[in-house]
Amino acid sequence: MADKHDSKISRRDFIAGSSIAFTTLAATGAALSPLLDARETPGIDEILQKHYRRLTTEDKKTIFARLEAEIDKKYSVKANISDPPPMDGVEFAYVLNIGRCIGCRKCVYACMEENNTSRDPQIQYIRVLKIKQGSIDLDSSSHDYPVSEAADPNYFYMPVQCQQCRNPPCIKVCPVKATWKEKDGVIVIDYNWCIGCRYCEAACPYHARRFNFAKPAIAPEEINPDMGYLSNRVRPMGVMEKCTFCLHRTRVGKYPACHDVCPTGARKFGNLRDPQSEVRKILEKERVYVLKQEVGTLPKFYYVFAK
Amino acid sequence: MDETPVRWWLIFLVPLFVLLSFYFLYRTFPIAPAAADPAPLKAEWYTLTTARGEDLANKSMVGNCFICHAYWVPIPRSMENSKPRFAHANITLNHGKNDRCYNCHMISDRNKYVADDGTGIMPQLPELLCSRCHGLIYDDWLNGTHGKWTGMWNPVKKSDRRRYTCTQCHDPHNPAFKYSTLAPPPVWPDKYIRNTGEESNSDPYSNFLIGKEPKESF
Ligand code: HEC
Ligand code: HEC
Ligand code: HEC
Ligand code: HEC
Repeated sequence: MADKHDSKISRRDFIAGSSIAFTTLAATGAALSPLLDARETPGIDEILQKHYRRLTTEDKKTIFARLEAEIDKKYSVKANISDPPPMDGVEFAYVLNIGRCIGCRKCVYACMEENNTSRDPQIQYIRVLKIKQGSIDLDSSSHDYPVSEAADPNYFYMPVQCQQCRNPPCIKVCPVKATWKEKDGVIVIDYNWCIGCRYCEAACPYHARRFNFAKPAIAPEEINPDMGYLSNRVRPMGVMEKCTFCLHRTRVGKYPACHDVCPTGARKFGNLRDPQSEVRKILEKERVYVLKQEVGTLPKFYYVFAK
Repeated sequence: MDETPVRWWLIFLVPLFVLLSFYFLYRTFPIAPAAADPAPLKAEWYTLTTARGEDLANKSMVGNCFICHAYWVPIPRSMENSKPRFAHANITLNHGKNDRCYNCHMISDRNKYVADDGTGIMPQLPELLCSRCHGLIYDDWLNGTHGKWTGMWNPVKKSDRRRYTCTQCHDPHNPAFKYSTLAPPPVWPDKYIRNTGEESNSDPYSNFLIGKEPKESF
């Protein structure tokens, strides 16, 4: 009897040992299970893709075709990805009349619609701050005021979005140079090059950058098929995004979506180098205010108090 | 019997491990419901409308003033009329000191507005009427500071740009700007949302350690 016991594993030991082994296996499985959800595994072309600024026109064509096919597969939407180049002699600027804004937030949703931002978790480029009149005290401002508190004559409403700084902290901190300033002054992101470290989000004094924590969820019928490579194409999970002044619209001469939708005419957009443009005329005449001037970012997004 | 100790605790340990393994297995293959498409945005939150878009379209009388005024209401009661009694009783003027109908409407031709020299202004150009008294704002409007343009920011042709006129945003009889389509606040993760009025840097620990820090103000 005793011999038998020595040579073989007892039943109890077997049961105990195997239950521990099985649990270990299951625990390892549970620990690795997030990988099962990683639907966004990059293809070999995507891994080998070069930085945007090294791409030739030929490269771009194949990349855009690949992205269009991916979008078709994921959302069954026939997208058209374009990449209009910056125009010569053009520097975009935005002017927002705080005296006129009523805080209706239509710009926020027009932007979501135009730029294919994630609906769930919600990503919005524009935050409308409600500020007590008297001083611009951002600390006591709120951007989640309910609808019933909009259009209150005792408050200023101040939409804040990417300020397209001349001296942008966000591009200095990017470890992979995935974000840079274009010739027309707009800061862009190559979503395929971004590694999602979120340094730029921390560096931005305006909280203008957003991170795709999840795969952007958009109903296919809401996707805007008119996409720009650097602006509003559907983003993958895990990259940064932000306002680009609607590059795919403004570089072909249209106004940004938030500008067109504003019912009060508080938003003004144009070419800073053209003395005839409405932004130049306003900047020359009105009281101009720059948000967080003391941090030295030199924004191209100006606030004015005018009628 | 003495050599094999009674390992009584196994009776608890083994079922515990079995349960744990079920738990981990469940964690590995969660029964997640298929993600539904998020609720669509309401179209009214992003479609282009002006404050009086539909209002203007519903004004059936525009251009039809002759039906009555050419034949049977030719003479004004008085030049200083401000409270219409019968036909236009739905109109109440709330335009500050500008409280006379004939400040704006022409007596001899109600389809037109009246200019400073008594001549008519075509009804398609109400901004000329407003410019009589709101000259500065009219200048701003010409420059694009006041009011709104849509279309192209660098127009080549005139049709590239659409310019909204005064009456598309202001009701001439009650001109204070009103707009009623308001969109809801963001539904962001809590960490982005700062509660209104809360002072920054004022959690209990920092209060205790360094006292209240002054608020940043601009
Ligand atoms: C249904 C017939 C009718 C039509 C159509 C009509 N009016 Fe009149 N309008 C009247 C009558 C009746 C009066 C006189 C009312 C009064 O004495 O209170 C009047 C008076 C006025 C007055 C002076 C107000 C006053 O109290 O005397 C103005 C201004 C006026 N109309 C403008 C217009 C304009 C502008 C139009 C075209 C958009 C127009 N009306 C179309 C019937 C009409
Ligand atoms: C500030 C100038 C101004 C004054 C003052 C004014 N109107 Fe008008 N009225 C307009 C303009 C501009 C329109 C063009 C239609 C529009 O934009 O609603 C108009 C339209 C109308 C119309 C046709 C549209 C409608 O609302 O049914 C009537 C009727 C009318 N006015 C009557 C009057 C009467 C009566 C008075 C005096 C109580 C008066 N208006 C005072 C500028 C004026
Ligand atoms: C005859 C002169 C006159 C004309 C024409 C005139 N207005 Fe006025 N408007 C005034 C005066 C006076 C005030 C100042 C009211 C006050 O401060 O109490 C005023 C005020 C206003 C206001 C500010 C109202 C407020 O409560 O803040 C608006 C907006 C306005 N006008 C729009 C218009 C538009 C649009 C037109 C053209 C359809 C027009 N006005 C034509 C004299 C005029
Ligand atoms: C795109 C819409 C729009 C158009 C077009 C427009 N306005 Fe305005 N207007 C506004 C808004 C918004 C305000 C500010 C309301 C506020 O501050 O609450 C305003 C304010 C005003 C005021 C009041 C200014 C004050 O000091 O309180 C006047 C007067 C005025 N507008 C006249 C005009 C005239 C005249 C025209 C045409 C030449 C015109 N508006 C065209 C949207 C418009």
